[in-house]
Amino acid sequence: METESILLGLALLFGIYMAWNVGANDVANAMGTSVGSKALTLRQAVLVAAVLEFAGAFLVGSHVSDTVRKGIVTPEVFTSNPLFLAYGMIAALLAAGAWLQIASYYGWPVSTTHSIVGAVLGFGVVVGGFNAIHWDKISAIVGSWIISPLMGGLIAYLIFTLLRRRIFYSSNPVKAAQQVTPWLVLCLFFILTLILVFKGLKNLNLDLPLMQALSLAIVVGAIAAFVSSILVRRIRVETTAERELIIQSPKVITALSKAVKHLQQVKADTSGEFHYQTTRLLDEIALLEKTAQRGMEVETGGDAIKTVERIFVYLQIMSACFVAFAHGANDVANAIGPLAAAVDVLKTGVVAMEASVPLWMLGLGGLGIVVGLATWGWRVIETIGKKITELTPTRGFAAEFAAATTIVIASKLGLPISTTHTLVGAVLGVGLARGLGALNLRTVREILISWIVTIPAGALLAVLFFYVLRGIFG
Amino acid sequence: MRTIISKLFGRSPFAPLQFHMSKVGECVQKIDELFTALGAGDYDKIKTISEQISESEHAADLAKDDIRNDLAKGVLLPVDKATLLAILSIQDSIADKCEDIGVVLTMKKLELSAAFREDFQQFLKKNLETFDVAQRIIEQLDELLSTSFAGFEAEKVKTMVDDVAYKEHEADLLQRQLLRRLFELENEMSYGTFILWLQVFEALSQLANLSENLGHRVRTLLDIKV
Repeated sequence: METESILLGLALLFGIYMAWNVGANDVANAMGTSVGSKALTLRQAVLVAAVLEFAGAFLVGSHVSDTVRKGIVTPEVFTSNPLFLAYGMIAALLAAGAWLQIASYYGWPVSTTHSIVGAVLGFGVVVGGFNAIHWDKISAIVGSWIISPLMGGLIAYLIFTLLRRRIFYSSNPVKAAQQVTPWLVLCLFFILTLILVFKGLKNLNLDLPLMQALSLAIVVGAIAAFVSSILVRRIRVETTAERELIIQSPKVITALSKAVKHLQQVKADTSGEFHYQTTRLLDEIALLEKTAQRGMEVETGGDAIKTVERIFVYLQIMSACFVAFAHGANDVANAIGPLAAAVDVLKTGVVAMEASVPLWMLGLGGLGIVVGLATWGWRVIETIGKKITELTPTRGFAAEFAAATTIVIASKLGLPISTTHTLVGAVLGVGLARGLGALNLRTVREILISWIVTIPAGALLAVLFFYVLRGIFG
Repeated sequence: MRTIISKLFGRSPFAPLQFHMSKVGECVQKIDELFTALGAGDYDKIKTISEQISESEHAADLAKDDIRNDLAKGVLLPVDKATLLAILSIQDSIADKCEDIGVVLTMKKLELSAAFREDFQQFLKKNLETFDVAQRIIEQLDELLSTSFAGFEAEKVKTMVDDVAYKEHEADLLQRQLLRRLFELENEMSYGTFILWLQVFEALSQLANLSENLGHRVRTLLDIKV
């Protein structure tokens, strides 16, 4: 009994430590973008993250936690030595935590998720043997590691391209932004609601069948979109410093339209070389007409963009909440997955796992993340926020929305992915859509290298700690 | 705490490019002062200004090197990197030309004779005007970046590019006239003076030519539905 209590204590300790680590280092990558664009102050960012990370962990965190708990290593292999499973999971937590400490000391871009999955995988293979691993699950997970940054990038690219075409190309960007905003809000709330209620938490009556879930999601989305369309109309265009712009008088424009009509007549009545020359002339004059008109419409040219960005501050706040929620849902598993497995074994003495991760553990994980955020994570958010100042709200929204959507879908599918790498993919997507000034592609190379190194490193450390634990506790 | 996200963002080259252009603008501003001094026959002042131009040109070179260093391999830009570097080179050439003009004027005590003074003033003014528009184009780069090189901002810049091209054409015409004047007076000046004036005209016309090149390069960055 004594050993069980000590091991339980160790499991909780290292589990909470991992959760703390997620809050201290990982959350900042997701929230830093909102602070950099000034959509949120540091205090607001920490508050948003605290509430939503917890909510995400609690409400949607069970799927990924289950995968890490019993989806990678088959518990049945340890039926004869149930304690080994406990040792292994505790060792995995310790190994992942240690590896993250080393990596952050050297400034390597290591993912918390990759570390824990590598650690669990490592101990499983070495101690349980080849058959102890669900290799199909592993291949799905590794596949998701490759797909999630790409998907984040693709969605971000599409969103920002949409924003370019509809807003920045338009002759009245503010009006275009006011029209686009409700649709974006609709999408965001639709996805969020759907994730919450389709196959959601049974204990909270959040488990709806597909049709009902879709309908509810659309209704919620529509309401949110409607509210936003009203709010967004109240934004006025700022009229600050005047820009010099050549504005043609209405007489000029009327004269030009007449010229166009006359030339069209000429074009219709001629053929051959003459017709060709007239067509060219017509094109030139039509262009001139357009230029003259634009001079009239776009008097407050430069300020329109500032107003658009102001509108998108609100959208970015929403996407920041979304990202925090998604992040909590996916990363809480890094701590709680192994913890739940160890606790199950230690409490019951056998390897039969509970149907799903108990809610109190998800809550504990969420709490750990919040504490990590409050004690250390805010500092990292501040640092990042100071460095990323060129990420304006439109860009920030595109990247965060793309990342959050990808992460939350992966969470629903029970796939533990790297939230940070997904966000990197999303930012690159915006960069490719010509949204950002300069991005270091060397970072991608560093990330790829970290992929190759982290799995073996986590695995080796986990095996090491496993044997240490077995040596101590027998 | 160098996290991935902060490492991902590099130093945007657009603000430094605008800064470099402002330094080039300083050089060009001094050209104006230089010829005012020439008109007044103040040769000491010409020497001083010429040295100032060299200093400004050197400051611009340092800024240029900074930009080039930051744009080493592996940086993703919203525009073609080669074009951006080309724009930087053109700006650099403009500063170099200013320095050359300054040096030429210190070779000999030239005199702005009344015969072609008027034509020359017009020519000088046109070249400076052309550069002005080019400088304003570069000043739009941050606006272009915020609108992602598309839309009405890009259209506005395109109009400015057309303007530069037209002004350069006007400068060409003025240069032809000025050269004819010079050849009419060739027997009234020494060979050395004649050569120096030719060099001055050539270098000045380069200001407009390079400005036009700059404009066209910026034009290729724009995402306009033609």
